[in-house]
Amino acid sequence: MTQLLDDPLFIKSQARIGVDIGGTFTDFVLYRPTSGELKSFKCLSTPNNPAHAVLSGLEKLGVKPPAWMTHGSTVATNALLERKGARTALITTRGFRDVLQIGRQNRPALYDLAADPPAPLVAQELRLEVTERIDAKGQVLTPLNIEEVEALMPRLQAEEVEAVAVCLLFSFLHPEHEERIGQMLTHAGYAVSLSSQILPEYREYERMSTTVVNAYVSPVLSNYLHTLENSLPTGFRLQVMQSNGGVISASEAMHNGVRCILSGPAGGVVGAQHIAWLAARGSEPGEGSNAPLKVITLDMGGTSTDVSLIDGSPQITTEACIGGYPIRIPILDIHTIGAGGGSIAYRDAGGALRVGPQSAGAEPGPACYGKGDVPTVTDANLVLGRLPPDRFLGGEMRLDAQRAVQVLEQLGRQLGLTLPQVALGIVAVVNAHMERALRVISVERGYDPREFTLLSFGGAGGLHAADLARGLGIPRVLVPPMASTLSAFGMLTAEVVKDYTQTVMLPATTPVEEIKTRLGRLTARGFQELIDEGLPAERIRFESALDMRYIGQSYELTLPFSAAFVEEFHRQHEHSYGYARREAPVEIVNLRTWAIGMVEHPSLERHPFQGTEAMEAYLEHRLVTFSDGVKQVPFYAGEKLRHGQRLFGPAVVVRPDTTILLAEGDAALLDAYLNLIIEVAL
Amino acid sequence: MTVKEKATTEIAEDPIRLEIFKHLFASIAEEMGVVLRKASYSPNIKERRDFSCAVFDGQTRMVAQAAHIPVHLGSMPLSVQAALHAHPYLEPGDMVILNDPYRGGTHLPDITLVSPVFLDEGHHSQRAFAFIASRAHHADIGGMAAGSMPIAREIFQEGLIIPPVKLVRGGEMQQALLDVILANVRTPEERMGDLYAQIAANQRGVERLQALVQRYGKSEISWAMEALYAYTARMTRRLISRIPPGEYTFADYLDDDGIGTQPVLIRATLRIHGDRATVDFSGSAPQQRGSINAVYAITLSAVHYVFRCLLGLDVPNNAGCLEPIEVIAPPGSVVNALPPAAVAAGNVETSQRIVDVLLGALAMADQQSGGKLCIPAASQGTMNNLSLGGYDPQRNQPFTYYETIGGGMGARRNAPGASGVHSHMTNTLNTPIEALEFTYPLRVLRYEIRSNSGGKGTYNGGDGIRRDIQVLTACEATILSERRRLAPYGLQGGESGKCGENLLLRENETIPLAGKCSIELKAGDVLSIRTPGGGGYGA
Repeated sequence: MTQLLDDPLFIKSQARIGVDIGGTFTDFVLYRPTSGELKSFKCLSTPNNPAHAVLSGLEKLGVKPPAWMTHGSTVATNALLERKGARTALITTRGFRDVLQIGRQNRPALYDLAADPPAPLVAQELRLEVTERIDAKGQVLTPLNIEEVEALMPRLQAEEVEAVAVCLLFSFLHPEHEERIGQMLTHAGYAVSLSSQILPEYREYERMSTTVVNAYVSPVLSNYLHTLENSLPTGFRLQVMQSNGGVISASEAMHNGVRCILSGPAGGVVGAQHIAWLAARGSEPGEGSNAPLKVITLDMGGTSTDVSLIDGSPQITTEACIGGYPIRIPILDIHTIGAGGGSIAYRDAGGALRVGPQSAGAEPGPACYGKGDVPTVTDANLVLGRLPPDRFLGGEMRLDAQRAVQVLEQLGRQLGLTLPQVALGIVAVVNAHMERALRVISVERGYDPREFTLLSFGGAGGLHAADLARGLGIPRVLVPPMASTLSAFGMLTAEVVKDYTQTVMLPATTPVEEIKTRLGRLTARGFQELIDEGLPAERIRFESALDMRYIGQSYELTLPFSAAFVEEFHRQHEHSYGYARREAPVEIVNLRTWAIGMVEHPSLERHPFQGTEAMEAYLEHRLVTFSDGVKQVPFYAGEKLRHGQRLFGPAVVVRPDTTILLAEGDAALLDAYLNLIIEVAL
Repeated sequence: MTVKEKATTEIAEDPIRLEIFKHLFASIAEEMGVVLRKASYSPNIKERRDFSCAVFDGQTRMVAQAAHIPVHLGSMPLSVQAALHAHPYLEPGDMVILNDPYRGGTHLPDITLVSPVFLDEGHHSQRAFAFIASRAHHADIGGMAAGSMPIAREIFQEGLIIPPVKLVRGGEMQQALLDVILANVRTPEERMGDLYAQIAANQRGVERLQALVQRYGKSEISWAMEALYAYTARMTRRLISRIPPGEYTFADYLDDDGIGTQPVLIRATLRIHGDRATVDFSGSAPQQRGSINAVYAITLSAVHYVFRCLLGLDVPNNAGCLEPIEVIAPPGSVVNALPPAAVAAGNVETSQRIVDVLLGALAMADQQSGGKLCIPAASQGTMNNLSLGGYDPQRNQPFTYYETIGGGMGARRNAPGASGVHSHMTNTLNTPIEALEFTYPLRVLRYEIRSNSGGKGTYNGGDGIRRDIQVLTACEATILSERRRLAPYGLQGGESGKCGENLLLRENETIPLAGKCSIELKAGDVLSIRTPGGGGYGA
């Protein structure tokens, strides 16, 4: 079987499934390259045994082995956020075991006397020290004391430790001490994470934190993947989505848990990139543009909203912090805020209307779901007439409008507002939250939103997207047809990506050949590991980059490696920070390499042009409340809209999984992929 | 009806706009902070993030400040007032620079840049609609010691004094002034880079506020500024009215002024009358010979900080917080120093003690209300400032290095204090050990929690830190630290936290050092700084 799976022709021909396990739903997208079939499916998640939902979904879709399954899961994230990871020990250089606790010595909130820093993932009694020391040049000042390491073993056993993280000072310059400890621990049967392998970069706290998170979540992810693999029929090859937007094999993921935190949202961004790329290239030959993609993604769900920016490619960050723990491996830069359709609205002690971050979640859910008794954003949209109560989730669930009115009226009495005022107010406040998040990833990072398209997916975004775009001057909104399963789709379009990094601290005057040699060591490792993943050599490519700064600075800029890298650095520094110092010495802090295994992208069906009039999809007129009054608004069935058809606001498009609002002046067009493209009235 | 009256009466009717503008103003200040951090050059701004950005209305009241450094809180409005007082007719494109602690500053390394915001060009005689300000702690501003935080006896020794003057006039950099500033500092290129970063931050702030006015209209923005101010003021009055009325006096001491050995008294009397409060520092010691003198701006910041913490996170951060509070600080005292007193440590150390004293008075009041305010015991009460400077023979250049070290937080009614963190008036980050050793002739031998240094109690105070730094070459060290002799207090029977200790480990000798000192170090010497624990809570 393995032999067959390694055959590139086999890889091309077999069914592929993207599976995204969320808190409420498990989403599937199936693609058969031979027939071009593309199918999506949703079912309720089974949190106690997530594999259960996966198996029943595969059965429903009729997938037979052999097949590839790419999987995004919240298992690693939840283990971290709920602190349900493995019992983990940490070994450090003597004198530095508390670095994990002290961190950067700042407290999490300035003006909150009761906000404590998050408790370290390894308690002090399991933070152990060994005598050894390496200096800033990578030279051994004190050799590793092997007897001390041996003496730790009975202790680890007595404490029933499952995983061990090892982080020694300057180990990225001289990994031998960590490797020796690693051998001894592996021999003793522990799951081991070495900082010189997980993140060979300077800044000891961030490296230690990343390594500890890996040790803490990997055994949990590993157990889960083993269970899933064992319950899949033979012939299924399992891959896992990583936070960097690429996939790796399940066997790699099992000891790289830190790379799989945020795997679901990463799938969404990769999927959005693919959709936007197709849409921008135009539906007819000669149409469309070859300019770099400029897309802001908005994924508004029930409890939270994820936003990210694509400028040619998705933005990468190495400054992520999840649950209060820094994770410094490169991941897609996704900004999350606690605002969604289920966010709860209330009056605060000073008399202001507040929305979120508390959410009614799926249980009890918004008042209109029939169980909850607090007003939410969804209730406000329902009261405003924007969400038809009889067509929710394709009519499978009827919303209780009366209940929504009751809870909103109650809040209105507290605030001295009428029903429409309070409902419009809730929408305005939640939009203000999301606008601020969109500003963080665009304006604050030097991007002008007016040059971008807002790509909205997730169940709740369609009602807010056009208004948000208006607030930021974004001229265009794109809502893809598979708005609520885009993450699962993204997992099918993602490539196999492994990233490697090494702190070097070289002067920029180092000969290019020398840098190439050093990068070559990273690419050789990447090549071998992708071959081991079963990728044919001709589908492997590499990208390399350098992190550079002026000597004396403490932040680096990451730039693609080229022969003229110093000049590129000056230019980028000027662009980003407003000045360059061409006379000042530059240093190379880190080398970076990405090894990429290219996959066959699913091709999406292009629909023929069918005229501009959307009469067939027309449902009815309903009353919808806007800030400038109540209007008679046409509603359309989204699944009946065809390529070329146009809609003019005010209008509402109802799809089984999302509802889209156009305000007066907005105009929409269906493209060949049935994306709804809204030209926003600014 | 005036705008103010209108805002006050309308506020209850428009809770939505209130919430929206709260976000809009806060995001201007935050965006300025991002620009400043990214564009700046020195580790002190980039790595340690020692800066603040804020937006002010036309009456110089703070509308929004990004959550940066608390010690800048109440003091930034005084910078704007000082700029306006010196230059009543500011014009578009002007920027006023200042660091004079007696004219709108705090201590000399903190340089503030103030920009007026005008709405339409051409009417230069009109007053500015609003103001933007940024403040950053510059790593050196000249004076008798590298880092400009010396053991000084008068302000002239501490560095270059910049009164409120125009650094930028109608968009034109005043090169002569810049040249004078750069000629007086040890690292001129770094200073220039950081000043340009502040200019970029202010420009961004001005543009964002102008764009906001364009989008919502002038009257709407005026309304929002007034309404947010009134909202925070109302929240503060509500908070004060929950404190049992009466008079509460609490006193504590600074160890010494760094020159003499006498403890320095700080006394606060908190008077609660209905929904207003008076914080009266009468009875505090006169200003001292050393640099622990706080100017009025520092005292105001400390008071603002304490009430800001009690308000809760959601309340917008603006001048309304001080509206129902009167602060009395006798001129010529250690909490309202007059020239030419030295002030470097007033900002970093005395500010911490003012917080301790005011929290102590509030704890007395809180005792009567059954602990509802949840006032913690004393935190470490110092920033443990360490400056090292000398010549690095390996890299063949002079070096200066400055750091502050965290310690224990005080325990609360329902929880122990956090260990190894910065408390109250600062929240700067540490410099990573691997970054430090890459750059300087220094080696860190230990960085650990100082076990059992927190005061015992039902809940223990947080533990301090032990940080041992070896110098690899001969150099000079200056330490400004507190709570080396007089410990952080416990509450409700909880024990005091342990005092901090500064030790010099030279060969096989252990030499105790004073809390504030300047010493010559030999290659191989180890400075061992052990920071105070927080006070415990409950017996």
